Amino acid sequence: MITAALLGNPNVGKTTLFNYLTGSNQYIGNWPGVTVEKKEGYIENRVKIVDLPGIYALDTFSNEEKISKEFLEKGNVDVIVNIVDASSLNRNLYLTLQLKQFNKPIVLVLNMMDVANAKGIKINYEKLATKLGVTVIPISASKGIGVEEVKKLLESGNFFSPVNENDYHYTDDEKENYRFIEEVLAEVIVKEKIESTTIGEKIDLIVLNKYLAYPLFLLILYIIFMFTFSWVGQPLSDALDEYIISGIVALLENLLQNSSPWFSSLIIDGIVGGVGSVLVFLPIVMALFLGISFLEDSGYMARAAFIMDKIMRKIGLSGKAFIPFIIGFGCTVPAIMSARTLESEKDRKLTALLVPLMSCNARLPVYALFATIFFPGNESAITFSLYLLGVAIAILIGLLFKNTIFKKDEEPFIIELPEYKVPELRNLMLNTWEKGKGFLKKAGTIIFAMSVIVWFLSNFNFNGMTDMESSFLAHLGGVIAPVFKPMGYGTWQSAVALLTGLMAKEVVVSTMGVVYGLDLHNILAQQFTPIAAYSFLVYVLLYTPCISVIAVMRKEFGNKMMAFSVFYQLLLAWIVSFIVFNVSSLILG
Amino acid sequence: MSICDLKPGQCGYIQSISGNKKLVKRLMALGCIEGTPVKVKLYAPLGDPIIINFRGFDLAIRKKDAMNIQLREA
Ligand SMILES: Nc1nc2c(ncn2[C@@H]2O[C@H](COP(=O)(O)OP(=O)(O)OP(=O)(O)O)[C@@H](O)[C@H]2O)c(=O)[nH]1
Repeated sequence: MITAALLGNPNVGKTTLFNYLTGSNQYIGNWPGVTVEKKEGYIENRVKIVDLPGIYALDTFSNEEKISKEFLEKGNVDVIVNIVDASSLNRNLYLTLQLKQFNKPIVLVLNMMDVANAKGIKINYEKLATKLGVTVIPISASKGIGVEEVKKLLESGNFFSPVNENDYHYTDDEKENYRFIEEVLAEVIVKEKIESTTIGEKIDLIVLNKYLAYPLFLLILYIIFMFTFSWVGQPLSDALDEYIISGIVALLENLLQNSSPWFSSLIIDGIVGGVGSVLVFLPIVMALFLGISFLEDSGYMARAAFIMDKIMRKIGLSGKAFIPFIIGFGCTVPAIMSARTLESEKDRKLTALLVPLMSCNARLPVYALFATIFFPGNESAITFSLYLLGVAIAILIGLLFKNTIFKKDEEPFIIELPEYKVPELRNLMLNTWEKGKGFLKKAGTIIFAMSVIVWFLSNFNFNGMTDMESSFLAHLGGVIAPVFKPMGYGTWQSAVALLTGLMAKEVVVSTMGVVYGLDLHNILAQQFTPIAAYSFLVYVLLYTPCISVIAVMRKEFGNKMMAFSVFYQLLLAWIVSFIVFNVSSLILG
Repeated sequence: MSICDLKPGQCGYIQSISGNKKLVKRLMALGCIEGTPVKVKLYAPLGDPIIINFRGFDLAIRKKDAMNIQLREA
């Protein structure tokens, strides 16, 4: 099998080409030890393509570059497929020159030919090929033009073997290299017209305008939120819950009528209940990611990072990290996933640690239940105060972490602002589906296992199947309960509610529904004082969001980060809840 | 003078880059080298970072980092 390494600058259409070449025949993982995605794909079992991270050069000290370099040196690479932006060859060829060091055949894929043509750039392909000693193929990846040729060439194995050592001029001096590139391009490129102000520049004058930038930014976020939580995502999610999940439950109840009660309980309450409660989030996750892919592909995301940088820097993050925080108000899972797009490892980790403090959708039912019982008339104020508390704590913790565990020099922040584009539908769909699939697979496996465990614990004790009061879970709740005593809610029921709430925060409510029975409102009113109720809500706001978040954290950052994140949040929630309870008790008597 | 002394819309030629080794390497690899014409396009709404343009593309950079890009005296 031929191994091809796919390399290029960020944003030149690498992913688009990769998707065209390999179709659905791809495997996504992580490069060992770093949070950089590793993608492999196959053409007909004949060619293996490894998609390397987008980079500008090989020697500017980033993880992405290290990975690429190591793979080129040790990965048995037969051919380098170097994709470049034909409309911006000058800078793109710098990487090409560096790639020549590896003495491997290079296929130079000139992408964005449509853009180059529109700019009046004419390129003499043969001359470029001989000058650089590479094979040149012009394509337009997003339009699917020329992609077949790339495929055929790779399958045939018919690329140039590296020509003699004198066919390139890579030195350690950037100036020399650029001089060489300019020489080559002077002979190879004819530019027909000089552009005046482009449309993109005009858009930037509005989008980055001193007075309009922030209102526009908020409007765009508002639209994406509405799209996700009101127009499309949530309704689909509700429909999924109402028709499909309920349908499956009804069907299973029918099928399992004659099987033993423990078995049907395991399947219906345990597995379908647990996995189903997570599955219903799929449309929300996908809707949100559709919106985000749209922002990414259109070129707006880099602008948002640009205008938010100064603000985010105060808590030790760069502008780009703002996006995951916004998503975090919806759902923490996609928010952590989107931290992947941040440049430095430190940013990715710090963001992932802070994002769970944004109050997600799932916590709302808990606030709603308690607010109606304990603070009638002030429900919105109570709920809003919790959202604000989350943001305030995130800022404080951000400052704390910035000055302790992430006390590294600020990385220099430079980002390229790509040109605006109308996103390609195909690309959007693929991206969104990719995210949805990941959510299903990874969260699904863990949720499945946890559902079975929780079901077992709440239905059994050492004597076999039993009712909940004497189950393992009740005993467990009794053991944990003293921990919550100083905050005024030390019953085994609230302990169990919080514990099972780790499955998903809504479960806090449903568990209470089960353990307190039908008269939930009246019993709750006797179990909590208003102050205890509020500190309970503070705990719900701040403790580890849910098992899906833990799973994603592990997938993205590994066991250590996962453990740290879980424990720091448990501790944080306890401390803040404790303070809230005792200070308000003192003041309000 | 440094690139931060330019107002939006003004151009200059790069003389040298100093400071953080990573920053220097990255900018140089992007073709930000002696003699390259560079233009300041805009300032962010809060005054920082700024957008500069050279070799046909836009780059956002913090003022603190951009201070290290020295321009040729005209
Ligand atoms: N006009 C035009 N746009 C293209 C072409 N190829 C890709 N694009 C668009 O360019 C944008 C970036 O494409 P990607 O495939 O995400 O680029 P990438 O190199 O993988 O980017 P990174 O993942 O950031 O490294 C997308 O919006 C594509 O639709 C092309 O040939 N012509």
